Amino acid sequence: MGVVGNWFKERLPVSGVELAELTNEPVPNHMRRWWWCLGGTPAYLFVVQIVTGILLALYYQPSPETAFESVRRISEEVNFGWFIRSVHKWAATLMIAAVILHQMRIYFTAAYRKPREINWMIGVSLLLCTLLLGFTGYSLVFEQLSYWGVTVASNICDTVPVVGSTIKQLLLGGDTYNRNTVPRFFILHAAVLPTLMVVLIALHIAILRLQGITELQFEDEPEEGSKHFDFFPDHFYTELIVGLVLMILLCVLATLFPAGMGTHADPLTTPEHIKPEWFFYPSFLWLKWFPGTIAVLTSGFIVFIMFVWPFIDAMICKITKRDDLYFWIGIAGVFMLVGMTIWEVLH
Amino acid sequence: MKLQTKRTVIGVLGIIFLLSLVFVQAMEVVRKKEEAGLATAHITVPVTSKGCVECHGQEKMTPGIVDHWEGSTHAKKGVGCVECHKAETQDADAFKHYGALIATIVTPKDCSRCHKKESEEFQHSHHAKAGNILASLDNFLAEKVEGFRDDEGGRNFFNPHSPTPGRPEIIEVNGSASAFVGCRQCHGSKVGLLGKDGSKITFEDLKPDKNGHPTVKQVVANISKSDDGRPKLHPETWPNTGIGRLNLDGSRGSCSACHSRHDFSPRRARQPENCGKCHMGPDHPQKEIFEESKHGVAFRDLKEHMNLDSETWILGKDYTQAPTCATCHMSGNSRNGGVITHDPSSRLSWTNRPPVSLVMDTDKDGKVIKTTDPAEREKLLHSSAMEKRDNMKNVCLHCHTPDYVNGFYSQYDDFVVLFNEKFAKPGKAIMAELGKQELLTKIQFDEEIEWTWFYLWHHEGRRARHGASMMAPDYAHWHGMYEVSERFYMELIPQARELVEHAREDGNTKQADAVEKVINEILSRKEHKWSPKFLEKGKHSKHGLKPEAERTILKPVGESAKTTKPEKPKIPAKKDAPK
Repeated sequence: MGVVGNWFKERLPVSGVELAELTNEPVPNHMRRWWWCLGGTPAYLFVVQIVTGILLALYYQPSPETAFESVRRISEEVNFGWFIRSVHKWAATLMIAAVILHQMRIYFTAAYRKPREINWMIGVSLLLCTLLLGFTGYSLVFEQLSYWGVTVASNICDTVPVVGSTIKQLLLGGDTYNRNTVPRFFILHAAVLPTLMVVLIALHIAILRLQGITELQFEDEPEEGSKHFDFFPDHFYTELIVGLVLMILLCVLATLFPAGMGTHADPLTTPEHIKPEWFFYPSFLWLKWFPGTIAVLTSGFIVFIMFVWPFIDAMICKITKRDDLYFWIGIAGVFMLVGMTIWEVLH
Repeated sequence: MKLQTKRTVIGVLGIIFLLSLVFVQAMEVVRKKEEAGLATAHITVPVTSKGCVECHGQEKMTPGIVDHWEGSTHAKKGVGCVECHKAETQDADAFKHYGALIATIVTPKDCSRCHKKESEEFQHSHHAKAGNILASLDNFLAEKVEGFRDDEGGRNFFNPHSPTPGRPEIIEVNGSASAFVGCRQCHGSKVGLLGKDGSKITFEDLKPDKNGHPTVKQVVANISKSDDGRPKLHPETWPNTGIGRLNLDGSRGSCSACHSRHDFSPRRARQPENCGKCHMGPDHPQKEIFEESKHGVAFRDLKEHMNLDSETWILGKDYTQAPTCATCHMSGNSRNGGVITHDPSSRLSWTNRPPVSLVMDTDKDGKVIKTTDPAEREKLLHSSAMEKRDNMKNVCLHCHTPDYVNGFYSQYDDFVVLFNEKFAKPGKAIMAELGKQELLTKIQFDEEIEWTWFYLWHHEGRRARHGASMMAPDYAHWHGMYEVSERFYMELIPQARELVEHAREDGNTKQADAVEKVINEILSRKEHKWSPKFLEKGKHSKHGLKPEAERTILKPVGESAKTTKPEKPKIPAKKDAPK
């Protein structure tokens, strides 16, 4: 060990062996299969979002007068601005898709069951944070979709009994969309939600490390022999490959389908047809099907059910003496969400 | 997967990722070059147009139109030659050209395949109706007075009276050349195909259905075609990019009147020079008026900062430095949600085109409502002048306060109404009475007063009103109302009186009295009483009126006046002034 190494060792008393032991967690064999090791994808995309988000924030100006123009400037004038914005946009879309896929994997393998209930709840919280980041993100562009999306969302908040109007006031910084609104959404998007997500992701990973990954046994795998392999370098390489594929995919999407500009927000012109981003289609349809308060309360109830699902599932298993009902409930849920999304795409 | 394989995959993916970053860098460099004007934008030549571009792009063909197209947004978006020029088998002017069925002239109906909203707005506009001039006074002026139109023989050809040295083959020319080269290049005309018998075949003969297909088969059979099967366009009617062109498919107008083919440059359409092809000159000098106004001054100074290449070009978002014709009359602005209109009249509250300006209340067809009955107006009303004014105010309010804008409109209204009431309606009434009493022939422009009246409203009167509408003081006053006044007092009134005197001499006393009564009634109004001479001039001794003053600034008005002993003009005191 050289002089530099010694210098650090004197100040940071961590040995290489300890560090390797700490990080080189044994990884279950089922994670040799590519589709089973996508849990890191959302985290990876989150890092991409942080980096590109910081770069965008260097030019973005959060006020109703300047927001749209600054985004246009980023897209049309700033060096590589179009690329960074497009990567940010596509990474957001992929991140939401990745979180949903990851959660489906956890659900259908019943990996949320005891003792992992808390981590499931953190996961659901991360899903909600991701969706909120998506919503607050497109609200910042100050195009028609941004303005009317926020207006509709704040009106939805208003229908919540007791606390609704307070939430709306907090969100908008007034009774209606005003000059305080864009800065508030920017702070939520660039500070509050990312910080919350960092904390939740740290907890999520810490708990994962404490409990270990749920081990799955596939039929074609031998029951004898080692059931684990090393994190480093084997699994690390896998994650690196996934990361590189994602990065290439983002480059391709950003160059072939760069983020464009919609119509500037106009409070005086209500658009005839306006739709949120695709990930809100089921909620959007739900709101169209049911009157305000009922739609909001039922949506909240569904989120609550998702949140405490491990406990409900345990009760179902206890009462029915069957442990596969969750699977059929899940299938029904997925069909409903996909069906509602397709319906909204077509209408 | 073995570790070594994974390492290899990582290496390959790493290289692909680096290459994709290099590609992004290359895209950025190209973008910056295009921005700086150092490179042409990337274009996509559709497969269907590849042959057209290759052939027409050759040196001895028409490389200009290919170059223009390559610089267009169409080229960037993959819209090629065939997409616009494509025709249907039933079209009167369709022909096969190297495997593609096309037509030479692209009409608004063709453009509407992609630009439906724009085309519909345009069809509703006054621009699309500019071809209506074909049966108007202006057309008579160009064809009969300036040229030769044989109403009886049906041929408009004019035979030179002497040979043209060096061009002995010129033995006859089109007598309507002035109308063809002048009026129709702005207003448009009926596009015609050449008949086998030399006739001109227009949409009136073809009677196209709603799809633009001709319905009269024998007329289609008469279309003359070149050896390669191409229908021949009648040389009198083509080239023609007049904005109110009457096309073979029944559509009106020509999009290329403003969006010059083949680059269709939005940048050019946004600049006043584009409108200046037609909106200039002695009768409607909007271009010159704009240039005199502070708007025009600001535009010249700040043009380079106005983001003229922007995709949306929305006032208040993409630029605010100065307005152009397009800004006020057509383009989107931040107060109207960036909505562009292709009907410029949708922001006009007065039409200053006719002799007497009209309020721009329009019916469902976009026609100005002319009836004076309030109930009838209310019934016909589809879009009010004040709604249109509000549309215009949306533009003004980007740079001016509401008080400023309302003040401007108050001044403008005062000006237009003053012109209407003091000169236009009186002039029209005098001319109408002269016609009614048959003191004028039925033929236009064969009497001096008809030229005088035409100058007054068509040239000077419009200049004044347009000057006021666009804040150009010199046009409103010196090129406008000053000249209107001079024309009215120094020419129109004396010439009308002269006609009255001639009528009296010819024994047409009743007719003379009727016209004189109208003139005197007008001149006895308080706005004309600033000099009593004009009224004095109309008082005739034979009819119990005082003889005409000899010392007058007016011209002599006929022999009978001269036979009466002149008196020193008596200037009545204000309280005695005739009413």
